[in-house]
Amino acid sequence: MQVFLQTIVGGVSLGAVYALVALGFSLVYRTMGLVNFAHGNVVTVGAYLASTFYLTSKLPFALAMIAAIAVTGMIGLVIERVLRPLENRDFDLMLIGTIGFGIVLDALVIAIWGATGRAVPSPVPAEPLDVFGLRIRTYDLVVLAIAAVATILLVLFLSRTKRGAAMQAVAMDHEAATAVGIHVGRSNAIAFMIGGGLAALAGGLVGPLLYVSPALGGALGIKGFAAAILGGFGSIPGAIVGGLAIGILDSFTAGHFQGYSELVTFIVFTVIIMVRPTGIFGERTVNRA
Amino acid sequence: MPRLRATTIISVLLLMGAAACSAPGSNDDKATSGNGPIKIALVDAQSGQLSSLGAWELKGARLAVDEWNAAGGINGRQIQLDVFDDQGDPTTGTTLARKIDSENYLAMIGTAESAVTIAMAPILKQAEIPNITSGQSPGLVAVGSEFLFLNGPTSTTYDETLAKYVVDQQGLKTIAMITNNGSYGKGEHDAFLKSLKSRNITPVADQVVTTDQKDFSAVLTGIRQKNPQVIFVGAEEVESGLIVKQARDLGITVPFAGAAPQGTPVFLDTAGAKAAEKTIVSSPYLSNDVSDASKKFAAAYKAKYNEDAELHGAKAYDGTQIMLTALKSSNVGTGKALADAIRATKYQGLLGDFAFDQTGVGIFATSIGTIQNGKLVAVTG
Repeated sequence: MQVFLQTIVGGVSLGAVYALVALGFSLVYRTMGLVNFAHGNVVTVGAYLASTFYLTSKLPFALAMIAAIAVTGMIGLVIERVLRPLENRDFDLMLIGTIGFGIVLDALVIAIWGATGRAVPSPVPAEPLDVFGLRIRTYDLVVLAIAAVATILLVLFLSRTKRGAAMQAVAMDHEAATAVGIHVGRSNAIAFMIGGGLAALAGGLVGPLLYVSPALGGALGIKGFAAAILGGFGSIPGAIVGGLAIGILDSFTAGHFQGYSELVTFIVFTVIIMVRPTGIFGERTVNRA
Repeated sequence: MPRLRATTIISVLLLMGAAACSAPGSNDDKATSGNGPIKIALVDAQSGQLSSLGAWELKGARLAVDEWNAAGGINGRQIQLDVFDDQGDPTTGTTLARKIDSENYLAMIGTAESAVTIAMAPILKQAEIPNITSGQSPGLVAVGSEFLFLNGPTSTTYDETLAKYVVDQQGLKTIAMITNNGSYGKGEHDAFLKSLKSRNITPVADQVVTTDQKDFSAVLTGIRQKNPQVIFVGAEEVESGLIVKQARDLGITVPFAGAAPQGTPVFLDTAGAKAAEKTIVSSPYLSNDVSDASKKFAAAYKAKYNEDAELHGAKAYDGTQIMLTALKSSNVGTGKALADAIRATKYQGLLGDFAFDQTGVGIFATSIGTIQNGKLVAVTG
């Protein structure tokens, strides 16, 4: 029983990070119908920025995170700006464009920060909590809390603000939205900007849990992408549930299947997707391709 | 999901292919004749997950080449070290092996990855290009190529030394193992298990993790319930660091033991100095101040890269020195002549005294150190 619970606890905090990555994928997909393959690389950039502001510029962790989020938000805007001329013309080229952007970001990261990476000490160095023999790291609780707050803010933005409502409208029918005077380009830009910010949030939070290296985004990107699909691509609650599910699934397969855990995780994932192709919260509002 | 046309998929593959190609080599056919620079290829991961190993190796090799060039090169010819990125991927490695053959490189330094080196070995053997690898898997010896040399000991040496210290000297018999399923981890798993078997010890836990696993709570909670006296880790720097860090968070207090990766600054940083305390390390290069040679090397390294030297740079430095010494003693020989010259080279290096046997291994001893107050300290006696 103890092993069972400890395994869940271990999977949840990484699951929360996967959920944040999935949110970034989903938000862009929801508004544009586009999978942003550069998202994982933006996560790497965000992680490096946060660690640089935190360790080199000696900013407090929270401020370092905010600064990193601001910069990656700008990167999101740049990606959208470059892709904008292709919008509604050549969808395939846009897709390849995002992959190309990923490669460029990857090369930039190695050029700027080198290939070796850096360890980020935990900003909350308190001893782990001991709950009936279960060990819970204090920093894990921080990660969960921040992920929850970010999700709530995002949902509020989409459902309660004019801009958010406009983005929802674009997602449902961009031609009709254009007809009523909604600026589709701006809506897409905001989606990319928030997506970029979420990437930095995920990357910055995961730094102290793991190790910031050029390979970080690749590992998180693929799990975040799987999480988004599992939850139902484009769905906000789906991204959360999908992220946590992949995190916990990962943790369990690691215990039971050892060296084959990655394989088993993705086989289970594939089976679920075969049974329910639209994911858990499958909704198909967007298909602009 | 949006539909994907075949053209898209092909374009994506082309794009990835383009990214995989690297450093263009010059078409200098004069390399093998008596003038022009002596061309040596360095093949290592410069991008991807294993790029830190590749970066260290490049720094060490570059340092050696620069020293020789500053001293006038070999027979008045400068040495040209060209870098190729294998991305830590065996398939990319085989492509590069053909490339360095067609571009007339005399010799190769690298790779730091046993799996990549093993994949490249048959092509290099056929092309008669001697190479000195930083890999340490016993599988390298099993290839049986007279053109393949190791710049350090194999896992068998590392782990036998470790077992001798942990079991024979310290009397620790309840041992748990965590290794990864990569080529390095697999080699460590088999070598250490063999050393334990020869002492009639069965580990209380033998857990295998994947190379990109991030969460070890399930594995570690299982090990905690077995109450081992020491935990053996066979994984690369970052993963070992994460395992040790998470183990301490779970309340595991016993020391860890392992080979070279557990002595590196990356391991120490990732785990945190407090968590890494008392880790037992088997390594041929414990620190930068064990000898005059290592002090000199560390100073030059620091001056050139503004970074502290570590094992992988030292290994590559030794390997490159041996390669250059052999080039000189063979009067810039190629193929078999160069391979024979390497085998005949006796070299007092940073890692120890190299004397190659028929299998291409030149060093058969490591030392034991432990981490005390955040530093690796040699164990005496």
